[in-house]
Amino acid sequence: MLIPPEQLIDGCVRTLLETVLPGIESRFARGQLYAVADVLRNLRDRVEEKSAGLELEAQSLHDSLGRAASALRATGETAAYDVALRIDHSLAAAPTAPPTARLGALRTVMASTLEAFDGLSEDVTKDATSALGGHFAAQAVREVMLLKPSLLSEISKG
Amino acid sequence: MSDSLEARLEGFLLSRLPGARAVKMISLERSTEGFSQETFSFLVEIHENGGASRRAFVAKRAPVAGLLEPYDLEPEFRVLNALSDDPLPSPPTPWFEPDPAVLERPFYVMERLPGQVPIPAPKPDGSGPLDPATRAALTPQVIAALARLHAIDWRKRDLAFLGAPRKGNDAALRELARWRERIEATRLPVPAVMQETLGWLRRHAPATDETTLVHGDFRLGNWLLEETPGGVRLSGVLDWEMVHLGDPLEDVAWCTSLLWRAGSPLASGLVPPSEFYALYAQASGRAVDPERLRFYELLSLVKMSAIMLTGIRAFRDGRTPDLRMAIFDHQLPFLMAGLAVLRGFLPAPAE
Repeated sequence: MLIPPEQLIDGCVRTLLETVLPGIESRFARGQLYAVADVLRNLRDRVEEKSAGLELEAQSLHDSLGRAASALRATGETAAYDVALRIDHSLAAAPTAPPTARLGALRTVMASTLEAFDGLSEDVTKDATSALGGHFAAQAVREVMLLKPSLLSEISKG
Repeated sequence: MSDSLEARLEGFLLSRLPGARAVKMISLERSTEGFSQETFSFLVEIHENGGASRRAFVAKRAPVAGLLEPYDLEPEFRVLNALSDDPLPSPPTPWFEPDPAVLERPFYVMERLPGQVPIPAPKPDGSGPLDPATRAALTPQVIAALARLHAIDWRKRDLAFLGAPRKGNDAALRELARWRERIEATRLPVPAVMQETLGWLRRHAPATDETTLVHGDFRLGNWLLEETPGGVRLSGVLDWEMVHLGDPLEDVAWCTSLLWRAGSPLASGLVPPSEFYALYAQASGRAVDPERLRFYELLSLVKMSAIMLTGIRAFRDGRTPDLRMAIFDHQLPFLMAGLAVLRGFLPAPAE
């Protein structure tokens, strides 16, 4: 999630009160809407992203980066070996907790690894990229599985 | 002058319509479809010495914050204005007003063409947005319009100001840089699969030996369709915000992208992508090179990701209260899954 849950909730409350409420005439419906806003306001400081999802992503990152480092070492290329060493050191240095700190550190290792790949030939990085691809695929599936059917059509139609 | 939008538009039209003695707003509505520029559709009564007539217009105004910020409406206005007499069904666009004193922010006004814009989403029963008869009638018109667009002599139309790429892979690299800069400008974390894709695109930017006008957003959702006694008619090609000079296959890849399948296996809800390529090749006389197409297919998802990230950033910064920007936060994973599929890390879902 790129927008913190509390900010999303604030946005929902603001939209309800400033955009939706003026268009509602029924007193009962207005009361219900105020109740929704009240619930959301009191929810905002009690929610955060589920740690189980963060831990799954972190494990997937750790495993795929480890496999990528092995693949790089197997090429026998000095430059690839150096990248593999950096991955190994970074993985060992990543904090084990809390989940957000661990995930943040591992995402940084992934970003710097992909940057390093830009300096290597595709022949050298082919197997390592494939190892990282396992994480890309798994993470994409995990995130898509969480999504609810889109209301984009209704949002566009108004 | 009154502060109301109606009165301001009336005053603007009165100043621009030769012979008009009075302009009266009959109806004004803000469109909900567009997520970027603000779109106002309006009908006015124009009083002249010889009597009164009614004309329909559309005003496009730069938003306070939006998906393609920073906004500069002038290039697309100049293109639309230059194409106003071309057979391509682009909306005749006579006026641009850069002065924010008139309508708070720059805007341009185009004539409202007849028709409706189908929303690029599946119907409630899960079928695609267009019925078979509409698809059959519309496909050749869409293909012909795209081929026509790419055949426009942009030099003769004084559109060189858009900046022509150099021969070779400059067109591809320039577009990649444009969208990469937008992504970086959001200062949001780049998902790993997108970072990997950006690297692949930089290493595989294809060369092209021709430069054409590129609409940049040619697809279902930006086509105006009019029901006529003879069948459906493509009455307008809309939303020229991303117009530029470049590789024509960029438009082909965008139009046939996973983004616009609308719950069907059909490119922009029309025909299978392979059929679209063949029809376009036939109409344009231009080969659809698979390597160039692959580059622009991936770039299409990067472009849309950049657009979504820009909206997310605007919402996070509190520059827009529009919750539609926030929904991109949970739309983005679909694009990342699409990138994983196109890069070969994830099998394509069965159609």
